[in-house]
Amino acid sequence: MTMLAYGLLNIDRERLKPFFERVPELFRNHHHADEDRAEQYEEMLYRISRPYSSNTLDMIDEFMGFQPRNWNSETEREVLLFLYAIRYPDTLLIESLTAEARSDVRRLSAYLHFIKHTYSIWNEDSRLGLEKLGIVIPSTETACPFRYGAYAASIELLKDLAPFHSFLEHDVPRQRLFQAALAAYGKEA
Amino acid sequence: MSTTEIVETYTPNFEAWVSEFQEWQARIGFDPSWLGDYSFDIKFDWDTAGDTIEFGDFEGMPKWDRRMQVPQQNIRDAIISMVTVQGDTEFASVEQQHHLLESAPTEYDKKSALRIMCEEQRHGWQMAYVLCTYFGEHGVREAMKLLERNSLGNPIRGEEDRARILGSFNAPIDHWLDFFCFTHFIDRDGKFQLKMLSTSSFKPLAASMGPMLKEESFHLGTGANGLRRIVKQGLIPIAFLQKYINKWVSTGLDLFGTDESTSAQWAYVYGVKGRYDERESSVPADREHLNEESRGHYFKELKDEMVRISKPRKAGEPELYICSDKFNRGVGHHHGKRYDVHGEPFGGDEDGWLAYLDSVLPTDADEKKLVEEYLTKEWIQYREWKGE
Repeated sequence: MTMLAYGLLNIDRERLKPFFERVPELFRNHHHADEDRAEQYEEMLYRISRPYSSNTLDMIDEFMGFQPRNWNSETEREVLLFLYAIRYPDTLLIESLTAEARSDVRRLSAYLHFIKHTYSIWNEDSRLGLEKLGIVIPSTETACPFRYGAYAASIELLKDLAPFHSFLEHDVPRQRLFQAALAAYGKEA
Repeated sequence: MSTTEIVETYTPNFEAWVSEFQEWQARIGFDPSWLGDYSFDIKFDWDTAGDTIEFGDFEGMPKWDRRMQVPQQNIRDAIISMVTVQGDTEFASVEQQHHLLESAPTEYDKKSALRIMCEEQRHGWQMAYVLCTYFGEHGVREAMKLLERNSLGNPIRGEEDRARILGSFNAPIDHWLDFFCFTHFIDRDGKFQLKMLSTSSFKPLAASMGPMLKEESFHLGTGANGLRRIVKQGLIPIAFLQKYINKWVSTGLDLFGTDESTSAQWAYVYGVKGRYDERESSVPADREHLNEESRGHYFKELKDEMVRISKPRKAGEPELYICSDKFNRGVGHHHGKRYDVHGEPFGGDEDGWLAYLDSVLPTDADEKKLVEEYLTKEWIQYREWKGE
């Protein structure tokens, strides 16, 4: 993780400027595209609390619009234990999961996001947004600890490099702020 | 886009000040172990500060990096004064608020308040560093005084006459409703002041502001979201909350200073302190009404924010609003005049006025009710701390 972060420091900082100038607008375009959903997102932040259970995962699945999980009880237990054990910014613990548990990076990253708030939700548009900034992370369907790790570390780096006008007074974790802005940015041609 | 420099070595002047700071922490009862691994870094964002003076009579000349480059003593004095006032508010807010940690409604609120107090102290360090490093003996003396004044002046130590510089930083913050109001209204004023200094002709001051502004956004968010969570929970009636909003609006407005301020005008002429939207504005500054203009931006922002805060109220409850900028003012043209919360002149007699104030501002009975009735129940929406 640390090595990845050092690697990211070589990015072209001039290229970040146009993005940072538009973070508030981009965030609103993505996060507030549907006001009800923005409201529901906040509800989720409040509603998820320990102890985590199947219900917790169901709530996140429903909010994200995922198909119901088709996991056996062992897989579910494994993921719940993983969610208790992992500490931001570690992503290498993902490697210890069985294939089924890490078969969907969007699902696993959404669990991480709503339970820890510090991890970012994997979103293909956000990944493309990072690519526009010169941070190229290969696409993935499965939760690859290195690709997802680079993605989370990149968003963490943006938090560090952003000028003050990019920081909104908003009731969302800053990871969400930048991830949502990146999604809107990546979606633009 | 910028890179933040973190200062690695301190001057002897500042190191001596740090020892005094540790004594200050002990004196006010702030346990340093609460800071965990937080460290008070001195941060400068030189890129955002810019190289050229952006407004005023020195516009177009290189920004001043050192005291001796500042062309006149009165400009140096104005800079010292700005830095001193800013630093004074940072330590004052910690003095006012740290006792609340014991009664936090949730772990989330306790951690949020603690983070705010850590960052306020860091901001105070930053201002003390600027004073000690760039302004010689005069600066060192002013930096020491940041720790000598006290918002809760202790008569046993003969501190009654050593109040904090700005009035609202001497008022007690007795409970968490006032804490959320303080962070929403008064820290928001702080954001405006920091933004106005971020374009300063004195480069170390301008470069201090970027990192401070980033941190300040969390403080404002904590205040606004705290108020919103109270509204959402719905235990405290909106009409009751409105009285506290009324109390804090005028306090926040007064912090922008007098109308037609000559000191604001001089600060602008020197390029020391700009308008809130100095870099974005395309019109020349109205130098005689600088405080009024900044206050206007602040007032508009308060109104916009209150719409958001009020949104999750229960069905049938009235909307929270921002009272008129004429109501209950202690500074400026409206000071000493009687206006109601809607800005209409009050027509009644003295008794009628006092009764009216009791109906729109918190009374002792309201305070008692708040503390003994509301704050003992589930008065704010729960939120779990997850860290960020």
